[in-house]
Amino acid sequence: MTIKKTLESPVAGSDFPVSHNLANSEMAKSDKKGGKCLVNRREFLLTSGATVSVILLSGCAGVAANTPAMVSTYPRKLVAKLSELKQDEPVDFSYPDEGAYSESIIVKLGVEGGGGIGVDRDVVAFNNTCTHQGGPLSGTYKGDTKSLGACPLHLSTYDLTRHGILISGQAYQSLPQVLLELDGDNIYAVGVFGLIFGRHDNLQG
Amino acid sequence: MSTPYYIPNTDVPLPPKNAEVLTTACDYCIVACGYKVFRWPTNSANGGPKAEQNAFGEDFPVSVLGSWVAPTQHNVVMHNDKPHNVVILPDKDTTVVNTNGDSSIRGGCIAEKCYNPQTPTRDRLKSPLVRIYGILQPVSWEFALDIAAKVGSHVLEKHGELAYGVKTYSYQYIENTYAITKYALRHIKTANFTFHDTPSNVSSTPGFRDAGFDNFGAAYQDWHDADTLMMCGTDPYETKTILWTQWIMPAIQRGQKTIMMGPRRTAGVAYSEQNGGLWLDVNPGTDLLVVNAIARTIAENNWQDADWIKDWVNDKWGSNSGFGQGTRNTPWQWRTTWGKFQTAGYEDWKKWLLSQKEFTVENAAKVSGVDAAKIRTAAEWMAKPVGGVRPKTSIMIEKGFYWSNNVGNTQAISALGIICGAGGRPGQMIGRAGGHQRGGQGGGKYPRNASPMKVPGRRRRALDTDTWTIAGHTRFAHVIGTTWIQSMCGSQQLAESFQKLVTANPHQVRSYDKDEIIETLKKRADSGGMVVVNQDIYLVDPIGAQFADIVFPAATWGEEDFMRANGERRLRLYSKFYDAPGDAKPDWWIIAQLAKRMGFDGFDWKNSNEVAEESARFSRGGRKDFNMIKVAAHREGKTLHEKMRELGTDGIQGPVTMEDDGTLVGSVRLHDTTRKLSEAGAAAGNVFNKKLTHFNSQTGRCNIQKSPWSLFSDYWEWLKPKGDELWCTSGRTNERWQSGFDDDRRPYIHQRWPDNYVEISPVDAKARGIESGDLLMVYSNRVPGLKETTLAVEGDDYSFSGQMKNGNVTLTKAAVTGVAIVTRHIKPGVLFMDFLHKSQPANALEGRIVDWISGNYNYKMGVAQVKKIGESKYKRSFRTMSFAPRDII
Repeated sequence: MTIKKTLESPVAGSDFPVSHNLANSEMAKSDKKGGKCLVNRREFLLTSGATVSVILLSGCAGVAANTPAMVSTYPRKLVAKLSELKQDEPVDFSYPDEGAYSESIIVKLGVEGGGGIGVDRDVVAFNNTCTHQGGPLSGTYKGDTKSLGACPLHLSTYDLTRHGILISGQAYQSLPQVLLELDGDNIYAVGVFGLIFGRHDNLQG
Repeated sequence: MSTPYYIPNTDVPLPPKNAEVLTTACDYCIVACGYKVFRWPTNSANGGPKAEQNAFGEDFPVSVLGSWVAPTQHNVVMHNDKPHNVVILPDKDTTVVNTNGDSSIRGGCIAEKCYNPQTPTRDRLKSPLVRIYGILQPVSWEFALDIAAKVGSHVLEKHGELAYGVKTYSYQYIENTYAITKYALRHIKTANFTFHDTPSNVSSTPGFRDAGFDNFGAAYQDWHDADTLMMCGTDPYETKTILWTQWIMPAIQRGQKTIMMGPRRTAGVAYSEQNGGLWLDVNPGTDLLVVNAIARTIAENNWQDADWIKDWVNDKWGSNSGFGQGTRNTPWQWRTTWGKFQTAGYEDWKKWLLSQKEFTVENAAKVSGVDAAKIRTAAEWMAKPVGGVRPKTSIMIEKGFYWSNNVGNTQAISALGIICGAGGRPGQMIGRAGGHQRGGQGGGKYPRNASPMKVPGRRRRALDTDTWTIAGHTRFAHVIGTTWIQSMCGSQQLAESFQKLVTANPHQVRSYDKDEIIETLKKRADSGGMVVVNQDIYLVDPIGAQFADIVFPAATWGEEDFMRANGERRLRLYSKFYDAPGDAKPDWWIIAQLAKRMGFDGFDWKNSNEVAEESARFSRGGRKDFNMIKVAAHREGKTLHEKMRELGTDGIQGPVTMEDDGTLVGSVRLHDTTRKLSEAGAAAGNVFNKKLTHFNSQTGRCNIQKSPWSLFSDYWEWLKPKGDELWCTSGRTNERWQSGFDDDRRPYIHQRWPDNYVEISPVDAKARGIESGDLLMVYSNRVPGLKETTLAVEGDDYSFSGQMKNGNVTLTKAAVTGVAIVTRHIKPGVLFMDFLHKSQPANALEGRIVDWISGNYNYKMGVAQVKKIGESKYKRSFRTMSFAPRDII
């Protein structure tokens, strides 16, 4: 399965990738087991009323896909086995490539998180570079607050239960969330939600 | 407002090599970080990821701290009527203020401030409006200005100056504040005038003023260079972030000892504690006891800076010699002649301090809730010599401190600073950290003697415009760039009065005819009602949306060339880089048009530079004296603004003097006792004000003053929580600036903070069955307010108890809602809310009782009960808000 970027988007100049698994649990209760090919386009898009053409999910039958010109493609990458994840113990991986600032973590929070997968919807993944000035967040995961940070540079902190929203600090966007897909026990990274620090385009690292 | 959902982008346009670059500074907090605006037409090519393809000369991905462009730093604006891309980044080359090109979340998002009809900024005011048949309808400038001028002139003539109220921001650029104060104070001459953050035109820090300290004497380098830094009533990381990250945080890493006082343990406090710092977790309103207990410990141990005191503290004769303004009818005189503050010098002060048993460490610890050991440690760090060497101590205060017990706290901290040797040397300074930037430039003098309000004797106090308006004396209210109502204490009392005086008045405009409209509004004023003119960039509820009869649309940051200073008096030019929306005009222009129609002269400026140049001479002797910049500019055949533009993001620190060869010299700090000025004195146009090298007192030395707890304790005892009540205080959160006028239109920030919130400790929450995300009603049956100006004869009548006894205090109810954040970072017994969510104004719960000596509100003092009324939609969703604590390090 491949998630494609599109040229058309609700905000001028914004391209964004989509995955059904980021559709929040509050909106996608029907997909409780995860792993099924389910497009929740309307629910996924955080806004309504915008003209959005979107989403090509190859191999996903029955989905009416609007397919404008493709400009780039997120890889589908195996990043972890669900059964091997231990609560509050992040596992490192690189995504969407091996280039600068591709360091990411996947973590089983033990509580439900936005965009979480697994039976308890508690497995989430994020880019591991502070979106303020590029400070490394490795080793800053806190199990009690389900957060990343404080960034060693300027102390920004991020809430991993809430799509990486800034808790306190200086960044002007959430930590980019890596979109996950569950296939049996395999967890695949399939996209990134938000611009990775240092890049002008997530797919040109 | 459109739905401001945040949709993160995954790419961003880069400025091309040939993008135009303009300098500016951030519009928001006091620090005023330097920024660069990169501008290029939308129909020309964007830059590329290679160094030779973009304006930064950097390869993408950029390195850590590099010129990365977050999607929130890009916008599309109109420039000369053509669409242009702008990317607005912190100046990566700057060596001052935001060194390394650091940026806060506020400045980082500032591109989104710009008007762009495809974003939630689309509701910017674009046309003058007049309320006709209850609806604010677009009209021409001429139509709206004629009405305002005619009705205003009528009110002046028939009801006098005091019926003509002007409530304005104090800071929104030198050109505008000069024009506004020239109009209100030099021409209208009304004492019914005040700034956005106070009911009366008074000093924010009366104790500093009496001691001789400027609020902003320190340089950022001083906060960095101190060995011990005490920070009272603020966590700079939360509210002036870059001052923390670039100046204080590196000092802590170097070994600076930090002492932070306040009821919340936010990230700066947590970082400070993690690095060995002290957190003095005071109960609201008890700061004075802690400060004086520290001072007492120092005095008892003889750790005071005796040499400094000998050279720089007034004795009996010095403190009797007035306050540099003549000795009659000055704030200094009112306070000192009561004998409640003035001392005959250090020994006299010490004798008084030691005689006050409430200042023992044990008592201070008991009432304030701060561990006694911490109070003793603070005293040691601030003043105990180690190996014969005194620590260099600096003290920074801000609103959590000076708006809790305005006079008392600022007197006490001044004395503590003085005995530690702080105030006039590198690394040894005392001052405010600051809130908004410093853009005030007086164009007239406040007519204090015209105020009907007084303190004991025949001495005048600046008019309390809230009480005055509530009492029905304001017939014409010109409100400029402030919410007024929600910004003030007991705001629901004020809102009720506006309804009574404005909307409930029978004289409402029901005509298309200008003359008829004017007659109707005159009748409103004559019948005891009030006419409201509002000038702002957005329609503000309720002052504009519900109450304004006339609305003037203002142009703002980026839409005009403006000048302003930051918290270390650093002056910069804020460049115009795009067209203001619609018919919006800068405030100086609006004021000029109105003033000319009212028959006032001296308002014929053609552009903002002309206003700045006229104002320059009035800045002389002030803390941001920029007159010599104009002199230098003219000498070089330039305008003041052109010269300022050359100074870029570095700007120059006021007061500015000029050498014989035309070189401009800034002032690193004020009261700099180590500074050597030209022995020949001030030549040519230079002014060497006393404050350059001495203190702001008659003698140039500091006044060490008493700070009696008893002047405040009656209010504190009355107010403190009873039964199920908790302290309810408020302040600013890093991510949100002021009323949220821009933030509510930034999807990301709005998603972070969609509604007001209520921080509550786990223990208080559990007792009330409250969980994070619950929707709370925060309410009080004990919000006091003053009924009339003052009802008093003798000195004691002016105290809170005296006003209660004389029947001048009314008790009202207030209620605001908020979303619960159950968090470990707030002290048990205390609630904390954002101070200025327009729809959930926490200030409604704070007592509308001015500090009876200074005339300021103690905004941070309130109590409330709290109960769950349901669950907010954020409790069980993941997109919006976060309930995580702010102390994660």
